[in-house]
Amino acid sequence: MKPLTTWRWNPVRGEYENGDRVPLEGTGEISAIDAFSNKTMLLLGCTGFVGKVLLAMVLDRFPELRHLVVQVRRKKNLHGEERFYAEILQSPPLRPIVERLGEEILRKKVQVVEGDLDQPLGGLSTEAIDQLKYKVDVVVNLAGVVDFDPPVNESFATNVYGTQHLIELVQLLNAKLVHVSTSYVAGKKNGRIPEEVAIGYFPLRDTHAGRHFSVAEEIDWYETFVDETRENRAGDLRPLRERLRAGGMNRAEYWGWTNTYTYTKSIGEQLIARTPGLTYSIVRPAIVESSLHFPFAGWNEGFTTSAPLVLMGGDGVKGWPVRNGPLEVVPVDLVASGILIVTAAVLCGKNQPVYHLASADENPIMLPRLVAFLGMNSRYKHKHKKNGNRLANLWKAYVETQVITVESLEVRRARLHRGLDVIHAALTLGKTILGSDKVSPYLKSLRDTRRQIRQQEVTLDKFLPFMFHNSFIFETGNVREAARMLTKEDLNRLQWDPKSIDWADYWVNIHTKGIEKWIRPVFAGREKRGQ
Amino acid sequence: MNKAAFYDLDGTLLSCNLVTMHAYYARNDRSLIKSAYQLTKVLLSVPLLFGLDLYSRSLFNIFSFRAYRGMHRDRLIGLADDLFEVTLKPSIFPQAQALIHTTSELGYRNVLVTGTLDFTIRPIALHFGIEEVICNRLEFKDHVATGQVLAPLLAENEKARSIREYAVREGIDLAQSCAFSDSSADVPMLSSVGFPVATNPTRRLRRIALEKNWPILELRESSSTLPPFLKAAKAH
Repeated sequence: MKPLTTWRWNPVRGEYENGDRVPLEGTGEISAIDAFSNKTMLLLGCTGFVGKVLLAMVLDRFPELRHLVVQVRRKKNLHGEERFYAEILQSPPLRPIVERLGEEILRKKVQVVEGDLDQPLGGLSTEAIDQLKYKVDVVVNLAGVVDFDPPVNESFATNVYGTQHLIELVQLLNAKLVHVSTSYVAGKKNGRIPEEVAIGYFPLRDTHAGRHFSVAEEIDWYETFVDETRENRAGDLRPLRERLRAGGMNRAEYWGWTNTYTYTKSIGEQLIARTPGLTYSIVRPAIVESSLHFPFAGWNEGFTTSAPLVLMGGDGVKGWPVRNGPLEVVPVDLVASGILIVTAAVLCGKNQPVYHLASADENPIMLPRLVAFLGMNSRYKHKHKKNGNRLANLWKAYVETQVITVESLEVRRARLHRGLDVIHAALTLGKTILGSDKVSPYLKSLRDTRRQIRQQEVTLDKFLPFMFHNSFIFETGNVREAARMLTKEDLNRLQWDPKSIDWADYWVNIHTKGIEKWIRPVFAGREKRGQ
Repeated sequence: MNKAAFYDLDGTLLSCNLVTMHAYYARNDRSLIKSAYQLTKVLLSVPLLFGLDLYSRSLFNIFSFRAYRGMHRDRLIGLADDLFEVTLKPSIFPQAQALIHTTSELGYRNVLVTGTLDFTIRPIALHFGIEEVICNRLEFKDHVATGQVLAPLLAENEKARSIREYAVREGIDLAQSCAFSDSSADVPMLSSVGFPVATNPTRRLRRIALEKNWPILELRESSSTLPPFLKAAKAH
């Protein structure tokens, strides 16, 4: 909907302002268009959520780019190239671009190389490397394992060893590097987080002066740990995957990171920062969410964003332990713009080592507001629901969401489980009195409910560090400065403007709807398979 | 040159009104007690609003928007979809969607011109597939409604002025454009286009339409005849 008006919402002040939009002015010290003209970009990780949007943006907005090389891993029976044309280009964010440009132009401009960052030199063949040597100007890396707590070997393979392979590849190609990490490498800290990368960084550095962190020692620890864990169980009856998972999490928490993902990404960053002679910038997005405008409003995929929480809210979870602070959310198209702005800066030699891409520095959205939105969404969904338990629907529709503390969360959970135990006992008794056929459907329903609740608890716990335990704001001065250096024409194509996000409209009308449309169906499938 | 179809909403495409919509927000306040209080205020104000509406749409609008004072914008936006399902969608006239579809197919740019508030209009516009909207906006201070509406308040002459401004900006030939409304308060809006249509007209508007030889269209029945100019265009 396009309301025809000159009033614009100022989300920071919470009021409308009049007057036409002031055209964005830049100094022109960086020209992204010139920087990309006649250059070759190697893109790793274009198959992921951010990767696809970045790929779409480059193809759509920078026809000046001479050559785009994308690395695609083979999957099952599909070669990298087949996968690219049959799967990636046919995905919702890319299809409109493909239709507009035509496959012929794309085949001329885009070269697909098969590879895998888990392999040395990215798994590229010697022919591919010879062909790309001295041709590739910049490597943009979005490849990584973004699961919070997989078995530690999976994280290390891509986020640590993969980064080593990346560095070797970039050096061999004599190219510059834009490496996408995450702002949550900061770990369990509070306050304003500066844009810097330090060798030997670990989050508890300030309070645990006796400890010393070194990448080499972490890799030693990892290799020893994996060997030992694989060889002997030492009375630990848990399966291997679970022991590897727990080991990674324990190590991460020991140093002060929230999970294996952020711990291994930090190691990756430190590997890059300590490499002499490498021209690089590290880009750290915060929580990447549904697109605001590009390629269309509400595009989202994956489960490591707020999607699980929004889905839980939509399913009627009422008690939310959140602090009264901002959630660092940033729409994926702003992230893609930010990455391209940084890439232009790198190509022009005017880059900083680290760029945060986040929103709270300029336009914070506070968690209690988001909790209220979850409640309103639940009301809307359950008020008009035709199926399901009537009482449950009424409860889910009309009981308001509440901000609670972690302590009262524990109390509520205990109470809920006790209540479920009572119901279970009653049903079991009923089975002996009334017979199995009458009671079994209810027992099954109870089992399903318990499973859903347990899943929700596990999910909530994974996100507690981001919602409750730590309160921080990522400084974003560097990307703002870079944006200010762009030319006027660049600013028509690349916008870094979190200040303009109308959070209420975005969250209710774009983001929640996007998650329900694109992620709910995948999520429902997963739940059925008991993942 | 382009041509547009300007649609009024309340009484033209559906039968809800500002009071009903405000009553929804009142009874869906955060707590039961607050809801009861808000609802009582609305009920008490109905006779006054009724009188005001007979006297002046503008005054009616101003007064009923006052009732939003103190409401948080998050809630107004967050509940808009539910409001639509509960109070607006059931009241859409049987022929409304078909008419909108017809004008769109015949090359008109469909534009909603209504005194309804922007957050309420959104799900309606989405439902009808109408992208362009000229509507009212509440004034907010720190996300809370002050009870005032942002200028220009859309009603009567202001609707006509907005349409003319829109036409200039977008290169619309008003002489080729059409407009649909049910109320005599919208005579200025209807008079600004070459093809006005009195739609489900009130008694007063019907009299004026007959005087001015404007076609009359009834969207509240399950089938009706299109005005001559649309029938003719469709036949081609």
